Amino acid sequence: MAVHIFGIRHHGPGSARAVRDALTALEPDCLLVEGPPDAQEALPLLMNAGMQPPVALLIYQPDQPSRAVYYPFTVFSPEWQALTYGLGRGIPTRFFDLPQAIQFAREPAPAAPEVGEGGDAPTEPAPTMRAKARSGRRAAAVAEPPDVRDDPLALLAQAAGYSDHELWWEQQIEQRHDATDLFLGVMEAMTALRADAPQRRPDEDLREAHMRQMIRAAQAEGYTRVAVVCGAWHAPALGEEHEAKADAALLKGLPKVAVTATWIPWTNSRLAYRSGYGAGVTSPGWYEHLWHTPAQTTIRWLTKVAGVLRDEGLDTSSASVIEAVRLAEALAALRALPMPGLAEMHEATLTVLCHGEAGRMRVVRDRIEIGERMGAVPPETPAVPLQRDLDAQIKRLRMERTTAIKPLELDLREDAHRAKSQLLHRLQLLGIPWGKPERVSGGKQGTFWEHWTMQWQVEFAVNIIEANIWGNTVALAAVAYARHAADTAHDLPALTTLLDRVILAELPDAADYILDRVENEAAVAADVRHLMLALPPLAKVARYGDVRGTKAQHVLPVLGTLFDRALVGLPLACASLDDDAAQGLLDSLDAVQFSVDLLDDADQRAAWAGALRDLMERETIHGLVRGRCTRLLLNSRALEAAELELRARHALSLVVPPDQAAAWIAGVLRGDSERLLYEDGLWLALDHWLRDLAPETFIALLPLLRRAFADFATPARRKMGDKVKRLSDATPTTATTAGSDAHPIDRARADLTLPVLAQFLGIGKTEGK
Amino acid sequence: MPKPKAATDATTESPVITVLRQHAEEQFAEELSELDHADAGKQRPPNWRLSPWAVKQYLLGGTLPNGFVITPKYIGNERLIEIAVATLATDRALLLYGLPGTAKSYVSEHLAAAVTGDSTLLVQGTAGTDESTLRYGWNYALLLVQGPSTAAMVSSPMMRAMQDGKVARIEELTRIPAEVQDTLITILSEKTLPVPELNTEVQARKGFNVIATANNRDKGVNELSSALLRRFNTVILPLPATMEEEVTIVEGRVAALGRALELPAEKPALEEIRRVVTIFRELRDGLTTDGKTKLKIPSGTLSTAEAISVMNSGLAMAGYYGDGELRASDIAAGLTGAIVKDPVQDRAVWLEYLQTVVKDRDGWKDLYRACQEVL
Repeated sequence: MAVHIFGIRHHGPGSARAVRDALTALEPDCLLVEGPPDAQEALPLLMNAGMQPPVALLIYQPDQPSRAVYYPFTVFSPEWQALTYGLGRGIPTRFFDLPQAIQFAREPAPAAPEVGEGGDAPTEPAPTMRAKARSGRRAAAVAEPPDVRDDPLALLAQAAGYSDHELWWEQQIEQRHDATDLFLGVMEAMTALRADAPQRRPDEDLREAHMRQMIRAAQAEGYTRVAVVCGAWHAPALGEEHEAKADAALLKGLPKVAVTATWIPWTNSRLAYRSGYGAGVTSPGWYEHLWHTPAQTTIRWLTKVAGVLRDEGLDTSSASVIEAVRLAEALAALRALPMPGLAEMHEATLTVLCHGEAGRMRVVRDRIEIGERMGAVPPETPAVPLQRDLDAQIKRLRMERTTAIKPLELDLREDAHRAKSQLLHRLQLLGIPWGKPERVSGGKQGTFWEHWTMQWQVEFAVNIIEANIWGNTVALAAVAYARHAADTAHDLPALTTLLDRVILAELPDAADYILDRVENEAAVAADVRHLMLALPPLAKVARYGDVRGTKAQHVLPVLGTLFDRALVGLPLACASLDDDAAQGLLDSLDAVQFSVDLLDDADQRAAWAGALRDLMERETIHGLVRGRCTRLLLNSRALEAAELELRARHALSLVVPPDQAAAWIAGVLRGDSERLLYEDGLWLALDHWLRDLAPETFIALLPLLRRAFADFATPARRKMGDKVKRLSDATPTTATTAGSDAHPIDRARADLTLPVLAQFLGIGKTEGK
Repeated sequence: MPKPKAATDATTESPVITVLRQHAEEQFAEELSELDHADAGKQRPPNWRLSPWAVKQYLLGGTLPNGFVITPKYIGNERLIEIAVATLATDRALLLYGLPGTAKSYVSEHLAAAVTGDSTLLVQGTAGTDESTLRYGWNYALLLVQGPSTAAMVSSPMMRAMQDGKVARIEELTRIPAEVQDTLITILSEKTLPVPELNTEVQARKGFNVIATANNRDKGVNELSSALLRRFNTVILPLPATMEEEVTIVEGRVAALGRALELPAEKPALEEIRRVVTIFRELRDGLTTDGKTKLKIPSGTLSTAEAISVMNSGLAMAGYYGDGELRASDIAAGLTGAIVKDPVQDRAVWLEYLQTVVKDRDGWKDLYRACQEVL
């Protein structure tokens, strides 16, 4: 037999080590690796110095870039080791799976090409030995019952008494340093499993037939030591005797579509289960560690963990590491394992190094167990689908890429312009700032005008390759990226800003997702100000979003809960504020007022007015805040002139500490002055208060007062001055004529009534007699 | 001056049947001896009565090869018990951390009983615990007559555990004043107890170990110094993992307590228990059970034990002031009292929860109104 078959598990460092050793021992003259032959031309790039795993082989339909499959490789992937071995030795190295061109043609076209399947995974999972990805790819259409092929190891693991087959495989195979006869064992086990498996899937027969045909072709070419690296499940099928004629007949006349292959950078977290990549490895960082550190695995792993914990400022002594190692080994012994696995490491770290606090384990999980890392591909790599999609859109929209700076004006009422705006916003989200939005004073203004400054930069090419990881079209990638950004954003203003950008980029899917996040984040937001500041963007979306295709009914409930929560928390947030904090709160109050005004909902208005009134009446709250509440109530006509006067007198009376009184007036004055000019009571109270201030207090307060008036333009200030002057001039007269200043008496006309009055009273008569 | 000697003398007498509660090693003596037989060939750490495998089985329950059934002592995550046993097997002190009512003391007692067959070497940690409870005291009469001598020493449970190679238990470690806690540092690292008065020391025999329990939610306790914490392996015992588990626990306990207190109300409706447990779990986790809405977490512990007491007070309300049937209004006051521990912060959290969750939940309107009335 000149064909040597190595059944492996994808992304298994144990398999990788075994494959490398076996290949070195065998010295094959031809190497066949499970993978799509469509990518044969892209293979030599693997040896390029610029290629840094983790990377993924991407195969897609150029005319429909959203149809694509990814084959991720890391340094500990057996395929990667086999490929680098083969290419490094210069022996013929080939992918020999069924071409993706045929597989695409056999699959029904995706129903909704715009959205990737399921939650966080806009990408299709790559195939694995467990064939999970392959079945998963069609899972959307047909829900298949789980069978042995989906998880051939589960049966073996079950037989060995393990509840988790991953654990079983890891302990039996991956952690094994001595892999002699490993492949024979795997082959035997799989043969037994296949014998009991229910009926085969059609594509599985096709794939295995194609693999066998490729092996035959290699033999026909005269190679004598052919090494075959494939998923363990397929291993037995390739070794059995099959008729070449039958295989050829099976493969004959299959339809094909045009596909293109390229490499893109991949990340460790994308290999992990956590991002919804169904067939990945849970802990790439751990496997990488196993790969690089065959000896002293436990000690070096826990030392690494201790290092990370120290970076995070958690005391971790060497003595603790020693104890953690001992516990990990004791646990392994208790569980009758040859050496501690990841679970034991995890428990030892939690128990000894983290003192039982699970929260600290997250940093260990993120930084070591996943070990976030992004691969790189050489610049010669063929264009990625995102690039093609972008090219197509630019062509369709008749836009021009130049490195010169050019302005661009868009009228959103026109469809073509709106599409351009949409594209530019999406690119911005993806970190490709081709256009920069500008604020223009003068010229064409209004909500439907957008002004951009356009400049294409050469390094965008790299950005596009990097962005391709999020999806193969601009829309898909932008959605995936926005979701990711929403997951990593940890305060409300960041989220609502993102929401605003997503609305501008017209990505309703992402917008809904971010709205959910906003709602969740709002629930735990400790800072009420964040809640309040988050309202205006939401209100804008609710009010104007329809222009951009966002439905108000999605936003309104979220806005409602945010509003409710803000009102519940507001009194607490207003208690015991210092000057700076009070100043900070004003913007938040104005933000809520803005949102309430914009939506003009009667219930909200009433609730908001109630909350403001409550704040206004609390003596213990900072003057600035109370002043502002008073003013906001006045603006929305929820405060009568008489009450304002009363409030002003109370707030500006001598018993109130002068700085609080000054703060109150600053809060009231903030903003537009016109409305205030009609409030005589307010000005009178202010005037009285100022006059009664002791000279030294007055001088101490002067900066505060000046600041309160500083924002007004000179004419407005003059008007206010006139007003007060006039009022105080009138004061003495009003004092004598008891509040009749509103209707001054015209003496001449009054005199005319006197004779009649006298007649009534009989005065004139008596006098006359 | 505490005299621990007197207390331990009582325990060494033959057990009296009328005691309210027997020690674990007495109550489960048969299980322990069956395990001892079944476990004969296995390797045991020095001075252990059972092998680590048998200790694990004693706690988690199971059936021996001869058909003997071991009752489970701890229902929950198996791996936690494995960690605890492995910790003791590696000569490390074990700290069981957790909310009140998560079976910390129970696990500690059974571990000590299974490992060394003696769960009585117990130090009760209080604010008044002094060094002599962890080290040794003196019989002052003898001390005055003879001067310092071994005979005049009064040994502590800790000291006896060291001398005999047994497991000492410390309850409520964080309630012990910090300077007294420091005594443990030398004991745990050097495994020796110096007696400067007699210019001698007590060296721990193999098998000696310490299991401490502490509450991680109480305020005003003496936080463990990092030097001491480093000498313990910490296992946090969680609250019941699933809704069903917790409902079962609450239902069982409420029924038992109701009988003991002879409450006049009828057995509580499972529905009402479910609501209380749901509220407790949601507020504890900061997430609604459907996983859709995040919530703020109040400052109280909201343990299963408190859920039980809410149900009990509700039953009493219904029985003495109502018509005997448990209604939302009967539990509203207890519920609010259990959740609002801090009159400002918790009140806001509770109010927010009522507004955003309870108000809109189907069939919860009565509870919403009742709670609003109480607030």
